[in-house]
Amino acid sequence: MNAISFARVDKSYDTFKALDGLSFNVAKGELYGLIGPNGAGKSTAIKLMVGLQKANVGEVSVLGFSPQDPEVRSLVGYMPQETALYLDLTVYENLDLFGRLYGINKSERAARINELLEFVNLSDWAKTVITNLSGGMQHRTSLAVALLAKPKLLVLDEPTVGVDPELRAAFWQHFADMQNDGTTILITTHYMDEALRCDRVGLINHGKIVAEGTPAELISNSHTKTLEEAFLAYAGREKS
Amino acid sequence: MNLDRTLAITRKQFQTLRHDKRTLALMLVAPVMAMLIFGFAFGSGTKHVPVVVVNNDTSGVAAKIVAGLDHDILNISGSNDLSVAQQDVRNGSKVATLYFPAGFSTVNRAQLYIDTTNQQLSAAVLSTISAGAKSASPIDISYAFEKAKNASATDTLVPGIIAFAITVFTTLLTLLAFVGERTSGTLARLRVTPVTEAEIVLGYELAFGIIAAIQGSLLLAVAILVYHVLVVGPILVAALVVILTAIDAQAIGIVVSAAARRESQAIQFIPFIIFPTFLLSGIFVAVQSLPDWLRPLSYVLPPTWAIQALRDVLLRGWGIERVWPQLLVLLGFAVVFTFLAIFGLKRSRV
Repeated sequence: MNAISFARVDKSYDTFKALDGLSFNVAKGELYGLIGPNGAGKSTAIKLMVGLQKANVGEVSVLGFSPQDPEVRSLVGYMPQETALYLDLTVYENLDLFGRLYGINKSERAARINELLEFVNLSDWAKTVITNLSGGMQHRTSLAVALLAKPKLLVLDEPTVGVDPELRAAFWQHFADMQNDGTTILITTHYMDEALRCDRVGLINHGKIVAEGTPAELISNSHTKTLEEAFLAYAGREKS
Repeated sequence: MNLDRTLAITRKQFQTLRHDKRTLALMLVAPVMAMLIFGFAFGSGTKHVPVVVVNNDTSGVAAKIVAGLDHDILNISGSNDLSVAQQDVRNGSKVATLYFPAGFSTVNRAQLYIDTTNQQLSAAVLSTISAGAKSASPIDISYAFEKAKNASATDTLVPGIIAFAITVFTTLLTLLAFVGERTSGTLARLRVTPVTEAEIVLGYELAFGIIAAIQGSLLLAVAILVYHVLVVGPILVAALVVILTAIDAQAIGIVVSAAARRESQAIQFIPFIIFPTFLLSGIFVAVQSLPDWLRPLSYVLPPTWAIQALRDVLLRGWGIERVWPQLLVLLGFAVVFTFLAIFGLKRSRV
């Protein structure tokens, strides 16, 4: 069974068609990269995946559920593009709030929060109000919130923007560890070196997948040398 | 419906306030400031209106009437020359001349010469003189609400200010908080967790209900300590009215927030919240005296019912057995607006 399945999905905002027959599948345990230019439909696809919006046409299924199904919510971790944290709460209070909403019990919650604070290197900043943190630190807190409930599916919308190289490497190591533990990960990114780390990559443009495969397949099928060149080749081909 | 998740939302509101001292100050200081300003500006009534009495009556009847007038409201001076006194009114230094001719006790007719270009002052003169004339006549007055027989303008005004302050500040803060939740992405983040829309709205309602109870107590404390207002009825019923008013106001705030994309747009809704509440809910102008076509609008404003209920409790001394219809209406508004708020949040998933 697939962890994520999009079948001929359309989504429009007024006259703008954000998704146009989008179809792709992500297998359980896979690390899948969704890449594409700005406005290609990546964020809309993610909103549908996490149940924030509904498709106009077509079927979306996540871990065998409809994304709108309340049962699936504690199985999916989501890190949006924007910080999306309570700026007047401390790092710990933000994590504690979401921990409560995920129904994690008191003792487990405290242990999990401390573990995540250590992972994102913010243990010394636990009592700092978010608004007083740097952008990178806010981003790290946001990732910690997404990881709180030990999700079966992790949806990350550009998770490493504004994160320094050392921490970026740590993030990716953690994603790899999670994948080894059976977590499915869908990630959007603008960094091609990150896309190379994915099992498979879907190139999205104008609301549909224009090419899909392992990074090596995409490079060889487009007769290019790098994934970036492959990406430009597919985007250009689609334009012409 | 999960109580832990609902309480987590409520708790988040209080934690935010703990770190955001400015909003906390707005919540506690601004309503008290509104109470003090309104109370002093409007509650004291009109005073020291300059009036000249020309008394040619020698029987003592006119003198008795003049002595019976409220000398706080009217600043009465005497004169022997009617034309000079009337000239003072024409040049604006006096508001009215009250003339008692010789033999007033037999003809029983006095003359009032009055400047009506300031309604507030001329109305004070007319009402004071007519009250004075009545007190000189042998009419026995008894009072339907004995404890409120000396109710002042402030006593009538205070329930209005409490309902006004709670409505405006609660609506405003919820509106801004919710637009903030939408624009910052936190609302989206909440909604990918197991928390439901109903739990979010009820969590907010609980927080604002508690905050309103604190605000209401503070306002009432100021009203009692500063203005010595009458509190005849059970204060807990008044607190219940205040809490229901706040729940109505915050649910309206959430409903309205759906129409604003940014905080700057939300600010544009403020006049639409303040003016109807201020002018149509019976704070200054009795609902009964509004034009027929406008009155229905005042009945769809929760503060109209809250103000009436608060006056009934605080001045008339009524308990829950008499004000339950108003409480029921406020509860009805709370249920309707809460459903609208939940429905509005669910709808944005489409």
